[in-house]
Amino acid sequence: MSEYRGAPREAAPVTLSARLSGIDRALPVWIGAGLVLLVLMVLPLGWLVSISVGGEGGVTLAHYRRVFGDPAMQRALGNTLVLAFWVGLASVAVGAPLAWLTVRTDVPGRGLIRALVMASFVTPPFLGAFAWVMLAGPNAGVLNVLWRRLTGAEEALANIFSMSGLVFVVTMYTFPYVYILIANTLALIASDLEEAASILGGGRLMVALTITLPLVAPAIVSGFILSVLQALALFGSPAILALPAGFHVITTQIWSLFHFPPKVEMAAAFSIPLLLATALLLLVQKKLLGRRGYAAVGGKGGQRRRIALGLWRYPAFLGCLAVMACAIFLPYGVLAKAAVSRAWAQPLTWDNVTLANFSFTFFEYSATQAAIVNTLELGVMTACAGTGLVALLSYIAHRRLVVGHQVVAFLALSPIVVPGVVLAVALFIAYTRPPLVLYGTLWILFIAYLTKEIPVGYAQSDATFRAIPPELEDAGRILGAGRLRILRDVTAPLARSGLIAAWCFIFIGVIRELSASIILFTPNTRVMSVVIFDLKEEGQFGAIAVLGLVMLVLTFATVVLVQAALGRDVLGTRE
Amino acid sequence: MPGVIVRALTKRYGDVAAVEDLSLEVKPGELVAFLGPSGCGKTTTLRLVAGFLKPEAGEIWVGDRCLSSPATVVPPERRRMAMIFQSYALWPHMTVAQNVGYGLRFKRELSRADRERRVREMLRVVQLDGYDARYPGELSGGQQQRVAVARALVVEPEILLLDEPLSNLDANLREEMRFEIRRLHEEFAITTLYVTHDQAEAMVISDRIAVLQNGRVAQVGTADELFNQPRTRFVAEFIGKTNVVDGVAVAADTVACGAVRLRVVAGGLTPGARVALSIRPHQIEVEPPGGGAVGGGVNALRGTVRRASFLGDSVDYQIEVAESDLVLRVAASSAWRLRPGDAVGLRIDPAACVPLAE
Repeated sequence: MSEYRGAPREAAPVTLSARLSGIDRALPVWIGAGLVLLVLMVLPLGWLVSISVGGEGGVTLAHYRRVFGDPAMQRALGNTLVLAFWVGLASVAVGAPLAWLTVRTDVPGRGLIRALVMASFVTPPFLGAFAWVMLAGPNAGVLNVLWRRLTGAEEALANIFSMSGLVFVVTMYTFPYVYILIANTLALIASDLEEAASILGGGRLMVALTITLPLVAPAIVSGFILSVLQALALFGSPAILALPAGFHVITTQIWSLFHFPPKVEMAAAFSIPLLLATALLLLVQKKLLGRRGYAAVGGKGGQRRRIALGLWRYPAFLGCLAVMACAIFLPYGVLAKAAVSRAWAQPLTWDNVTLANFSFTFFEYSATQAAIVNTLELGVMTACAGTGLVALLSYIAHRRLVVGHQVVAFLALSPIVVPGVVLAVALFIAYTRPPLVLYGTLWILFIAYLTKEIPVGYAQSDATFRAIPPELEDAGRILGAGRLRILRDVTAPLARSGLIAAWCFIFIGVIRELSASIILFTPNTRVMSVVIFDLKEEGQFGAIAVLGLVMLVLTFATVVLVQAALGRDVLGTRE
Repeated sequence: MPGVIVRALTKRYGDVAAVEDLSLEVKPGELVAFLGPSGCGKTTTLRLVAGFLKPEAGEIWVGDRCLSSPATVVPPERRRMAMIFQSYALWPHMTVAQNVGYGLRFKRELSRADRERRVREMLRVVQLDGYDARYPGELSGGQQQRVAVARALVVEPEILLLDEPLSNLDANLREEMRFEIRRLHEEFAITTLYVTHDQAEAMVISDRIAVLQNGRVAQVGTADELFNQPRTRFVAEFIGKTNVVDGVAVAADTVACGAVRLRVVAGGLTPGARVALSIRPHQIEVEPPGGGAVGGGVNALRGTVRRASFLGDSVDYQIEVAESDLVLRVAASSAWRLRPGDAVGLRIDPAACVPLAE
């Protein structure tokens, strides 16, 4: 359905606005979208594939053979699978009960728990990993020191530099994905579905197993898949925890292939399976959710009654707090302590308190100031450009303005299949050569961030325009306002808060980005996350803590802005 | 004051024709209702007239201006029309006064003071004076409806389009608003197209009704014409309740249905042709208990009561007609009752037997 496309052939007295509304809109829009897509996706991924199979004598699988024949690479592959699987499982084990408790039971402190899950959701995982190094490093880790002092044991309580430590830390910042999916599904299941089963004679357990669980099952499986995807694509936490433990995962392995001399072909070849695995998992998730209309779940009106836990309320609450202690309280506490201590491992006495970390970070360490400026600059640029782009795309898709509008959503969401490290490898290959030599400039980071964040922004913007009925625009048109005038008078004011939220989501995503930045930065284009990573090499934990806190403050300030704009929290429907 | 002429209009979505070869003339100052079940193309037709859609074939004329044709479509904002939407489409971020005054912003000749005065006047006409600073979210459904009406009328459009404007109101308010809309139409006499699926609404509000079926006009006429002289089975069944009797013509004015012969007034039936008759339930005379009143004569039938449902002001009977497999719905006085199993005499005025074109 494309309303009045095509220039009027018998031009009546043509005013400028008539001329504007008469132009064939489809062409410029598609040319523009095509160019953007070319720069963001096609060119980089095209080069990625072509380099991975490129040899002197034409197409070759030599790079693949070299990569997959290398025992070290095979181990990295195996480690990644182990990590991703256990993170997926552990995230469901943590996220599902939390969601059920906060949505369907009368556990105390539900608002607090929800707020803390959100905090964990927006915490950059690599900051959590740093914090846990300080908490559970085998020698100086605060918890291990405490353990030795209390028990007199020689051995450490826990060693975070291990596969299990890595799984633990990654899970602490991945389970919110499961929580969101399950909480939002549970919030939509009316109690009467369960009561209908009870009245037919189903006991509580029976109802839970035969009604509630099957209804949430798609959310659980898709939470598992999302968590696996997060773990597959993660770079920061494995780099911080796995490398000292002496093992690699795919992302860190790809990164190390960029150490001088860079082995780009091998990195490319190693990236392809990660790309394919991501695409495959997303396809499975889509299939799972797309089957059987869980229409009952979408029903409204049905009341939801909370299950009374009785005395179990308090142990349940303590359980939630324990999770939050691991995800938020302990890490944030140790970061705050490290920021103001001379020696982070020592007790916080007056002698040990200092502001030196702040002055060192901001004034003495040469890279910080430029990195903060770069980060903010990129954050604002990407958020503005990204919001503009997703607003345009979702508007076109919703108002069916051009032929082929159905493809728009698919294209806008497609970057989601590209893990950050893979995207970085692809961009590195594509933009270190003509016609566009962007490597070494902020532009290559800009493109990386824009590509990575478009799906997030699009989802938000799509929801925004979905909520504005087209009649509101039609009503203005028929009263005499042109399309542009209506955009200004009606659409823009109504979309404003939703688009502010999209801006914020993109901004948060950009300032915490590490996995693509770590490959694409150059000495002049460092960003905060990269500086934090560099500081680790120098053992500057105080400075890491300071920068980490700056990042958290920026993030939470943005989150507050989102909440003000949307009137709800960033996790989605509040039941 | 121009009228609207729609000529051979066709609108397709893919292979499906939502509107096909639809022609209609709306006279200046006339209110015509588009009536039909969902999916009959009535809203599509309205949106074509509004200029939101482009036709694949046909033309739409208002006065001497051709507004739509496959070659050009004058955009909605330059059609001098106004429209009232099913959802009202009030802008939630604008006050009542801003909503109502929006269309006046595009009338350059009006000063700000003129605009404000006209908004105030219009709000008084729809009985909303004093509400100008409210937001739509703060109004009841009926009040929102009035704002939508005011917003459309204040611009003094040449053509007014209404898309099921009453369907979101509760039953009482809906009835009240029917008369209100008719009153406003008589006051302003704007050429109006009114889409509805509610036949009672169409009958109260409109001068003429166009019954739409599968994207075509099945019949156009006054409520009286459509009710008493339906041309097709679809129209007969859509407007009011009716019995459709299938039979075969045995003479120019007689239809056979089993052993039963029914006389019709209009001659010209072709003997041997299949014919369907529409007979309204209240036009069938029923012999009260004790009998005698109906007697014999033309179109006199015998039957047995199958079911009787008391409806308050009338009784709805299902009567099985003897010597045929006909079952007729009959609406009779509630002053007396027949019981299931009672034998009864019926008579149908030949004028009440309306032959239908399929």
